[in-house]
Amino acid sequence: MKKLPLLPHYYRQIGCILFVPFLALGIAYMAFDYTIPWLNYRMDPGGIEFSTNFTDELAAVGLIASFVMIAFSREKIEDEAIQFFRLEALQWAVWVNYAILVLCILFCYGGLFFSVMTFNLFTVLIIFIIRFRFVLYQYNKASI
Amino acid sequence: MKNTIKVQRAIHNLTQDDLAKKISVSRQTINTMESGKYVPSTALALKMAALFGVGVEELFQLEEGD
Repeated sequence: MKKLPLLPHYYRQIGCILFVPFLALGIAYMAFDYTIPWLNYRMDPGGIEFSTNFTDELAAVGLIASFVMIAFSREKIEDEAIQFFRLEALQWAVWVNYAILVLCILFCYGGLFFSVMTFNLFTVLIIFIIRFRFVLYQYNKASI
Repeated sequence: MKNTIKVQRAIHNLTQDDLAKKISVSRQTINTMESGKYVPSTALALKMAALFGVGVEELFQLEEGD
């Protein structure tokens, strides 16, 4: 059977470990406007000053990377039934994510909407991870 | 879809774990197949039929509504 492109199993642990500091950084940035000083960047093309800080970029990329590692690493025995549950959970996550997003588009305005869109960067992966783990839990429980 | 995996397993005196190892899937997959929650691919069905020395149609049968 054609195998899905997935990361090796141990990437799940790496993802779980990386997730903690990047989440802390993300929360610190969102809630307390914390920025890492050495990530300041300034340039001056043609006299127009442009400056930014890359803390939020680092936190977002780090979080996405750790979620991807948790979500898309191979199970110890990744057989066709697991792949079936994996794809089913992914489809379920996309459905639920867009249902929630539509509700948020209709009912959230202004700054709140901006926050919703920020969280929406990660929600497909988060919902997928929760759903897939839940399905695997049931699958394991059913066969004891 | 109905299947007779459990019966064939009993005839050949195999546990779920033995069968799982022989066709390189997890034991849980054998369980979900036996209970009809998961329908295996043609390749896996052929593997099991070959292992039990029966035709695929003996191992799997369509039900009404399939």
